[in-house]
Amino acid sequence: MRPENYQAISQPASNEYELNFGPNHPGIEGNYAFRVKLNGDTVVSARADAGYLHRGFEKLMEGRLWIQNIALVPRICVPDPVPMEVCYSLAIEDLCGLEVPERAQWIRVMQLEMSRLAAHLFAFGGHAATTGMYTPMFWGVADRDLILDRFEELTGGRVYSIYNIPGGVRREVPEGFLGRLSSLLDYLESRLPDYDSLFFTNQVFVKRARGVGTLTQEKALKWGVTGPNLRATGLAFDVRRDDPYLVYDRLEFDIPTEQGGDALARNLIRRAELKQSIHILRQVIERLPSVTGPIRAPIPNPLAWNVPAGETYTRVESSKGELAYYIVSDGSDKPYRVHVRGPSAMHAVQVLEKLAIGSRLEDIAQIMFSLDACPPEVDR
Amino acid sequence: MSKDLNIWLDNLLEDIESVQFRRKSSRRVRVDVAAEALPALLELLQGHASYVHLSAITCVDWIEEDEFELIYHLWSYEAHSLVSAHTRIPRDPGVYLSIYDLYQPAAFFERDIHEMFGVYFEGSPDMEKFILTEWNGPPPMRKDFDSEAFVNQTFEWEEYRPKWLEEIEAEGGGITTRPEDVRR
Repeated sequence: MRPENYQAISQPASNEYELNFGPNHPGIEGNYAFRVKLNGDTVVSARADAGYLHRGFEKLMEGRLWIQNIALVPRICVPDPVPMEVCYSLAIEDLCGLEVPERAQWIRVMQLEMSRLAAHLFAFGGHAATTGMYTPMFWGVADRDLILDRFEELTGGRVYSIYNIPGGVRREVPEGFLGRLSSLLDYLESRLPDYDSLFFTNQVFVKRARGVGTLTQEKALKWGVTGPNLRATGLAFDVRRDDPYLVYDRLEFDIPTEQGGDALARNLIRRAELKQSIHILRQVIERLPSVTGPIRAPIPNPLAWNVPAGETYTRVESSKGELAYYIVSDGSDKPYRVHVRGPSAMHAVQVLEKLAIGSRLEDIAQIMFSLDACPPEVDR
Repeated sequence: MSKDLNIWLDNLLEDIESVQFRRKSSRRVRVDVAAEALPALLELLQGHASYVHLSAITCVDWIEEDEFELIYHLWSYEAHSLVSAHTRIPRDPGVYLSIYDLYQPAAFFERDIHEMFGVYFEGSPDMEKFILTEWNGPPPMRKDFDSEAFVNQTFEWEEYRPKWLEEIEAEGGGITTRPEDVRR
């Protein structure tokens, strides 16, 4: 709400007060706000207030060509944009019955895992900052930047790569890229013990995060929690393994789980997933040179491409949880309807509102960052 | 176990009248159901077939048929299968039942659809505005809302003439716009 439209309402005398938390607040991820009712510093109720980043993607996509939307979709989630492109492309391929060449599938997996690494480094760095520890944040952002360097080399873009198109990927992997990626992975792996002693086993963090925003598995299932946040409650569910896409069924990886369900457990899951993503990327580096062939399937003239009528629901596992696209085509050159189901649509609204109740004011930021809520996915 | 559950469900859905059932792939099922029967179907899926996760509710505006299509995407963690239950309601008055008592995530999706399409869900806990807090026009995701026409009516186009561009043009450079591309 704009400040000029805010009207104070006179309330009967009470010891509760209302606080606007955000939209411009260091404890809020992105442009998002909370209206919190407090008694002392204990939260009595919280209301999410979204819309500060509403760009109307779903409406915009209805007015653009199928291929033009590729440039639009990664903007829906800034920290983790690759799953958006891949999921959208997978949906069109499903509608057209396009077979993606195997090499392109491996390259896509590589991008997805690089993006997951970058997003997780960002996420726990952000969480560290909410507990007053700024060094892990600087380290996380600096190491993420090294991944962005590899993205720049592979795709030309650091954050929004716009590298996937329906049918495959745009360009071949540059010469020597896999070697450089491999040494980056060695570096990131060598950093993990440092991260452990600086952050994940640091008592400043552990004591702050333990028991904050605790979710039981029963509640998590009831509230529609997905992704790392669900795995932190002990359920080993991952779209990559249980509803596999691309070549994930040919890769070896574990699905880490934790039992705590609190902010600490959610961070430890991300720590474990960093290791798994490095493990997956090593397999891709080993296998990719032996997978030859084209990097994209032939597609019709993309500027006059009538995608066959139909509908599809496509899901991928983004770093934040289950990401899905529901796309309807009426057989024309533009989508009839695109619905984006961002993982944070649940986490940033209902789950956060409920978890905040009873917590302390200074823990709201911790709960939000530990859920890895991404407000642009709510607003779209 | 999970395979048996899928077969059991397939057989059951094929037997029910007023339910059109189609298995699209090993993990995707499409069900078309009349609007009156949908809550009962969801109750069956959740209570007896382990479909506990409501992945999303989507609304599609079929303006030529004067109908809204509502699609409920349900996932089963045990059967590893996604059921999409499609139903259609008349565009006018655009009122349907909330499924909040079955699936709590529905509250967000119903609120979103109410805001974007103007479909009212009876029994939903919260139908207040969320994203478009200061918007008083028609629900923007409806097909009869043309955002470009709205912009042209509401705002005035302004020529963009920064000083730096004038300086460049004085030296003989600048941006050229073909006459047919000039916005009017």
